[in-house]
Amino acid sequence: MAERIITLCYRKVIDATNTNRWDKFVHEDSFAEFKMQAQFYNQEQKYNTFAELLLNVPAAEKLHFLVGGSVIGYLQQLKNIIPDILDNLGRRFLSFDNFKFELVNSDINSIEKHKIALNFFSKPLIWHDTIGNHLLVSQYHETNDEEVFTNLFQLQPFLSINSIKTIR
Amino acid sequence: MIGAISTPVIIDACKKSSISDGSSSGSGSAGTTASTNGTCAVAPTETEGPFPTKAPASYVRSDITDGKTGYKLTAKITIGNINNNCSALSGAIVDIWHCDAEGNYSEYGGTGMQSTNYQSVHFLRGRQTTDTNGLVTFTSIFPGWYSGRATHIHVHVYNAAGTSLNVTQIAFPEGAGTALALVNGYNKGMAGYTYNNADNIFSDDKTGIEIATVTGTLAAGFELTFKVNVKA
Repeated sequence: MAERIITLCYRKVIDATNTNRWDKFVHEDSFAEFKMQAQFYNQEQKYNTFAELLLNVPAAEKLHFLVGGSVIGYLQQLKNIIPDILDNLGRRFLSFDNFKFELVNSDINSIEKHKIALNFFSKPLIWHDTIGNHLLVSQYHETNDEEVFTNLFQLQPFLSINSIKTIR
Repeated sequence: MIGAISTPVIIDACKKSSISDGSSSGSGSAGTTASTNGTCAVAPTETEGPFPTKAPASYVRSDITDGKTGYKLTAKITIGNINNNCSALSGAIVDIWHCDAEGNYSEYGGTGMQSTNYQSVHFLRGRQTTDTNGLVTFTSIFPGWYSGRATHIHVHVYNAAGTSLNVTQIAFPEGAGTALALVNGYNKGMAGYTYNNADNIFSDDKTGIEIATVTGTLAAGFELTFKVNVKA
């Protein structure tokens, strides 16, 4: 029987309005790292914002990757569990190995303007069914069991199906 | 890290009717809290995790190898302060980065939803703070090379507050018997290699100030020493 294997992406945006302690550590440390790393692409000190750097310094595109190095320790504290996304029983149920850090915007003079996104990519899931606004999924692994344990979760903003493959 | 939240409760007016003794006293009062019970959001109910703790950037490590294969290289970089007769500058932050044996840097594409395993993605990048001798030490591999450039290590020196003091590159000694010759470009060999005097960064260095001292053997590994003088 054909099965649809999907991975989900959760894009967690963090800016100055986030109050959660983990979010604030990530926000503050990534801002400090941005201020350090941006200097390499701004040696004449002509620019203040990330948007200006991207526009004028092509290599500044690397800052997404470079600034992301500042949050790896916080990702490790998550112990591979994607934060915030709950199943219908109120539990986090998605795990991740893969991740991508994004600088949305920043300003070397203002942490208030610093906004980042953490993209978490889930391990593969089997997409069994769609019930109203909910997807019924299970963790994908080789098994001969007839019965598999499932999670039911609601489609919601900042959560998307990132990839899909059909296997027979 | 999700704590339990309490569900708001509808407070109803409550009347006690007491027929037997004739007194009637109510209790409570009509509440105004609206129920959110039954709306779309699922209440998070999980054991609250341990508090997050401050974590240094993943660059802060002395061993930057990250499992990359190559001949061992210990890099000892000393920072001097030009404003103090080039004596040791302590407390300076030093970032280094270089390519792997194949000539590739750790840096994935900025576009699209390309993702990588977050634990191993910043290979061959490190950050240390200078001690009282102005010294930082990194354990790495001897860099490979890529077309158009001589073998090099990037260095960025900041003061303790993170303000950039110097951006520079370390060049390697060339010629028979040098580490560069012994490593021989790993699997690539040296065909098409750009030597220091043709390199667009190093070719103007006539005195060799940008060239490190490198000693050692393939078997035991190499040691590199280099001094960077900055205006602090």
